[in-house]
Amino acid sequence: MFDIVGKRVWFFCLSGLVILACVIFLLVFGLKLGIEFSSGLEVRVNFEEDVDSGQLVETLANLGYEGAIVQTILTEEGAEDGFLIRTQELSEEEQQHLLDGLVSTFGSLKEEPEFRLVSSEVSTGTARVAGIAVAVATVGILLYITWAFRRMPSPFRYGTCAIVALVHDVVVVLGIFSLLGGIMNWEVNLMFITGILAVIGYSVNNTVVVFDRVRENLRQGISADFEVVVNTSLVETLGRSLNTSLTTLVVVIALVLFVGASIQNFAIVLLIGVISGTYSSLFVAPLLLVVWEKGGWFSFIRWPSLTTGGARRG
Amino acid sequence: MRRNTWIFISIIIVFILAVLVVFPFDEGILGKKGTQLGLDLAGGVSLVYKAEFPEGTTAEERAQGIDRALEVIRTRIDRYGVTEPTIQKVEIGGEECISVKLPGFTDIEEAKKLVKQTGFLEFRMVELDDEGNPVYLSSYLELEEPAFFDENESGTRIFAEEGYNQGIPAAILVKDEEGNLSYVDIDGAPVDVEELKQIPGKLRSWIPARGEDGTVLTGAFLSEANANLNQSSGQMTIGIVWTEEGGNLFNEVAAKIYYSGPYDSPQRCLGIFLDKELLSAPQILYPEYAEGRGEITGNFTAQEAIRLANLLESGSLPMPLSDEPLYEDLVSAARGNISVDMGLKAGLIGAILVVLFMIVYYRIPGLLASLALVFYGVVVLALFKLIPVTLTLAGIGGFVLSLGMAVDANVLIFERMKEEIRTGRTLGAAVEAGFSRAWTAIRDSNVTTFIVCIILYWVGASIVAGEPVMGFALTLFIGVAVSMFTAIVVTRTLLRMFVGTRLGRRTELFTPYSGRKNV
Repeated sequence: MFDIVGKRVWFFCLSGLVILACVIFLLVFGLKLGIEFSSGLEVRVNFEEDVDSGQLVETLANLGYEGAIVQTILTEEGAEDGFLIRTQELSEEEQQHLLDGLVSTFGSLKEEPEFRLVSSEVSTGTARVAGIAVAVATVGILLYITWAFRRMPSPFRYGTCAIVALVHDVVVVLGIFSLLGGIMNWEVNLMFITGILAVIGYSVNNTVVVFDRVRENLRQGISADFEVVVNTSLVETLGRSLNTSLTTLVVVIALVLFVGASIQNFAIVLLIGVISGTYSSLFVAPLLLVVWEKGGWFSFIRWPSLTTGGARRG
Repeated sequence: MRRNTWIFISIIIVFILAVLVVFPFDEGILGKKGTQLGLDLAGGVSLVYKAEFPEGTTAEERAQGIDRALEVIRTRIDRYGVTEPTIQKVEIGGEECISVKLPGFTDIEEAKKLVKQTGFLEFRMVELDDEGNPVYLSSYLELEEPAFFDENESGTRIFAEEGYNQGIPAAILVKDEEGNLSYVDIDGAPVDVEELKQIPGKLRSWIPARGEDGTVLTGAFLSEANANLNQSSGQMTIGIVWTEEGGNLFNEVAAKIYYSGPYDSPQRCLGIFLDKELLSAPQILYPEYAEGRGEITGNFTAQEAIRLANLLESGSLPMPLSDEPLYEDLVSAARGNISVDMGLKAGLIGAILVVLFMIVYYRIPGLLASLALVFYGVVVLALFKLIPVTLTLAGIGGFVLSLGMAVDANVLIFERMKEEIRTGRTLGAAVEAGFSRAWTAIRDSNVTTFIVCIILYWVGASIVAGEPVMGFALTLFIGVAVSMFTAIVVTRTLLRMFVGTRLGRRTELFTPYSGRKNV
């Protein structure tokens, strides 16, 4: 049987490195907030003529919209299919002025322009609700898992370890997204938060499957050594955890490839989240449970020798 | 086994019913409409305005005001013929706001007018001085210290004329709480007196038209309003019918105006004001009007007349709305259709890959789980139509995601079955043990998804434009709930039927890897 638990230092190191990288990305690039969270105006225009995005930025600056961000929308074949212009909040007259200015420079539009205006009142409310939601979801899951494992000794540990795994996934998603934001201007929008919450729910799914087996094996008393029980449970459930993740991953990839558009962020969040969630529910949450049980928080450095001994005993 | 057969028959019946509900996709069945599409798929306009109550409005008055406003806006929109509009109250930072979603309606300017126009209709008469002569703006401007000519009337004076600046008043004279008089424009901004002196022509001073008991004649006393084309003049007119109370009030006002001066004198007119703009000022021809009927004339185009009649009949908003919307979203319909197609394509491809994986990896049970997945997909789509769930792109995403998660329970069960076979159980016993032992893990892991769905639904319901989030939460919730049923009941029923047959004795078809090992 594989000794996964015994090699926990390596798994923690891998997680630590990824998390460190993600934190660095977050510090360097930050997160680009979509207008739902930062307020502003988004106009989608598509001109009859081919227009160069650089010229568009220049024209916008001449019209008095210096800080406007222009994003080119591409068709599936990669041709220009309009632009998404983002500015600060504009009044109705200013919106008209902007549009008239563009039409007089670049000619008429192929299709009706699309507008999206979010005032700061709305964006503040949305950000607050999103924050509360993530917090409530985390606490809710902590309480539920503690409750589900209430007959186990120290059920709170199961809940906490699941939450650590979950925070791990959220940080990984945020980090990779800040990298994508830095390179490709990807924004954190409402669907991103929806994706994060879905990841929170999904990441715990697999963790519960492993914990459930730990619960069963402890009850059957397969070994007096907690480390052996967890390792056995982990190995026994490895196949099914990978398979459930695989089936989910398949449909998520289908979403990324074929739908894109407004739920692209959401699909990418799920993709990263499912991968990270699978890793963390197999190699973070159960291993943390062992560390906690063995009380080795302060002797992290000495673990390798301790654990090889433990594995041999099993 | 007999009980199992009955369950199997029930499943088949449910499946057939579900197929009948789902197809055809865009048409209704059993009196229901076709699948409803959200704004992001159907295109349309979404607007949010803040309700601007005056200072000191009580919570109860606010609640009533909002309810009334929602009703008024709904009437206007219904009369305009927008299908499936959503008009609701939302709270933003503790302030009441009104959110309006009009699927399939992409004229944002028209939508703004429909929602925002306060539609406060009032009737006014010309102010008279002590000698009974009409008062003009110039009369007021000649005064050293501004004071009302008609001291009994403390209401605002509107200085406007039909031919001047499209009826928009040059100024409004208002009295503040300390009793000081000042000139403001239609938006309430102060006006320079010197500028007012430059205005050529005479602008009449209009005061509220009151009945004998002091009640002001407003649009609230109207019961009907219809746009008509006057055949002889070729002008659009608006025919109005007063309520009984309004009819009496109007007659009292008409008598006052009628006896105020001779025919064609400046004071023999009734001023009709909409949101403080003078629409028209027709002559009062009779001291009394029968049957409570009247007509508003003015320079309307047909569209304006229809909108005005609509506005008059739906009534006025109990409070003004913010000038600029707090949120607006305009989605063209063209992109929506592409998105639906892409979503279905993704779902189909995803499902096919999942089915292939299940069959290759789990063989017979995998095949049965795939049948259960087909059952799952059809039942969920039928539920979307029956509930009905408004489908958004995010909702489609939730559905596609749930296709991948739906087989998770089966994976857990089949792995468990393999273990049970490895320990030497017969296939029948392994099937039963697999289902019962995997149950706790399936239950506990899905509950966390439910928790998240409930929270997401709350998020969607409490923010502006949360439709996609709600759509995702609802579809994922329905998906996971139905999948627990299909993965357990449907797959188990199908498996039990197989266990009794000759194929059921070939264990390697059920557990390819461990089966080989054991042989």
